[in-house]
This record gives sequence, C-alpha cells and structure tokens, in this order.
Amino acid sequence: MAKIDEHDFVKRIQNPQTKRRAFEEMVNVYSRQLYWQIHYMLQNHDDTDDVLQNTFIKAWKGIDMFKGDSALSTWLYRIAQNEALTFLKQRRQMTSIDDEDFVEQANFVADEYFDGDETEQMLMQAVSTLPAKQRQVFCMKYFEDKKYEEISDLVGTSVGALKASYHIAVEKITNFFHSKE
Amino acid sequence: MSTKNNRILNPDGGRYPFKVSDEYFDNLTARIMKQIPEENAQNGISGKEIQEEVSERNKKIIDLRQRRFRNRWLSVVSIAASLVLIATVALKFIPTSTTQDQPVNEQVATYTDEDYNEDLMTYTMVDNMDVYYYLASGDMDEE
Repeated sequence: MAKIDEHDFVKRIQNPQTKRRAFEEMVNVYSRQLYWQIHYMLQNHDDTDDVLQNTFIKAWKGIDMFKGDSALSTWLYRIAQNEALTFLKQRRQMTSIDDEDFVEQANFVADEYFDGDETEQMLMQAVSTLPAKQRQVFCMKYFEDKKYEEISDLVGTSVGALKASYHIAVEKITNFFHSKE
Repeated sequence: MSTKNNRILNPDGGRYPFKVSDEYFDNLTARIMKQIPEENAQNGISGKEIQEEVSERNKKIIDLRQRRFRNRWLSVVSIAASLVLIATVALKFIPTSTTQDQPVNEQVATYTDEDYNEDLMTYTMVDNMDVYYYLASGDMDEE
C-alpha cells in the first residue's frame, strides 16, 4: 500500500469542498490492496468486484463519522471484511455446505482469472476448505509474506491467535494433500 | 514450518495464482465514483448532514433520558414529603404515651360543676342577678 499522510487524507475527505476528489484518490490508493484481501476470502473475481464496490460505497457513507481512532487502511479493511463475511453468509444460506465446496472447486478450473499450474490449483482447492477468516490470514502470511504484527494491526486479532490460526491452516492444507495422494 | 509441510508449502511463501488486468483497476475508480454522486443526488443530503442528524438525534435521546430521570426524582421527593407530612399530623393527633394522657385527665378532673354552671350562664347570657331574681320569685310563688 502506498505511503500516504492518512491524517491529511481524512481531513480532505471530510471537507465537503475537497471530499469527492480526495475520495477518488483514496479509491485509487486502496483498491488493489482491498481487492486481494476480499479475493482471499471469496476466491472469485465477480464476487470480489461486487463486494469491493459495496465496501467503497459504505466507506463514502461513513467517512464523516470516521474519528481516526484506527488507521484509515484498517478502517477500510474492516468494512471490506464485514462485507465479504456478509456475502459468504448470504451465499451459504442459498446453498448447502457440500454444494458450496463443489462450486468453489469447480470454479478454479473454469475461472478465467486463475493463473496457476495443477499444483497451484490443488493448493487453492485446499485453501478453499479453510474458514474464510483463516483463509485470509493464511493468504496474507503465505502469499504476501506479511509479518504477524502487520496482520494483527489490520484484522485486530492478537499475534498469538494469528500464529495458531496459521499453524492450523498449514496442517489442514497438508492433510488435504495427503488425502489426495 | 515442519519438514513434512515444506514438501507441500514453500517456506518462503508462494505466488497467489490469480491475475487481474490493470484495466480493471483503471476503470474501477470511475465505476465506483459513478455510483456515489447518484446516491447522494437521490438523497439530496451529504455525509456531513447525516452526521449532524445523527448527533441531533443522540442529543434528543439524552434529553429524554435526563427528563425521565428528573421526573423519577420529583416523584420520589414528593412521596417522601407526603409521608413526612402524614407522619407529623398523625403524631399531633394520636396520643402515643401515658405521660401525655395525664395532664388531659387532670384537666377533665378539675372541670367541676361550678365551672359548668358558669359556662352555662355565659352561654345563655344569664348573670347572677337574674339567677337571684329567679330564685326569689320562685320563693314568692311558693308563698
């Protein structure tokens, strides 16, 4: 994420004179990061696109109430996480868990945004079996190589809990691969 | 990560096997910004106005709570005042000890026939002379 003066950014967004322009800049700065954060949870481009747009619309509606108690990036991240979890809940209500697993695994084969080999496809299938939050933590650690402290700031979970969550995720993925042998 | 895990997961991490074109992100901002003015134009209110409305509502809620609290206190105080008043009146009119009874009895005891006759004469506007006259004339009649 680009280094920006968040305090100044928030001030400009909360000023009606500069709000629109500053918000546009904010979308430019944070959209890529948020896209992948949401994608880790949903693992599908179209769903991620919908949730990302909702995230920014919610951010626009709530930006005047943002007090700056947390970093702007953390605040945006939390909106995105809530939106993604709400989306998953709605999807779960429409399909049974078994059906959902089938759809997700089948999607990787047909997904035009998937850019991996057979092993990577299998890895993503294993990742898709993790609960959404654990999947997200695993992806941030494994694919982005983020430090636990960074992830902790972002998701508001203790470093110890994150380490435990990552360890469990690694075990589940390993077991998934062994079950396919 | 254990050696067993290393065979499957790279300890240095891996590449996330999804890609999105730059074009998507180039257009994304425009697509989002297109939705935002529409929402605001429809509602005709800005975020700041929403915030002001919310804080105004919060103020009203606090006012209502304070008023309820004040009313409760007034009720409690008025009930307490009524109880004190009733207790004071009751203490005045209901004799509670024998020491208070004694002077009353004494007064009753000292209220003699003489006093009664005097009170009666005052009430009927009859003085001593009338009484003597009455008695004398009675004597004369008998005679």
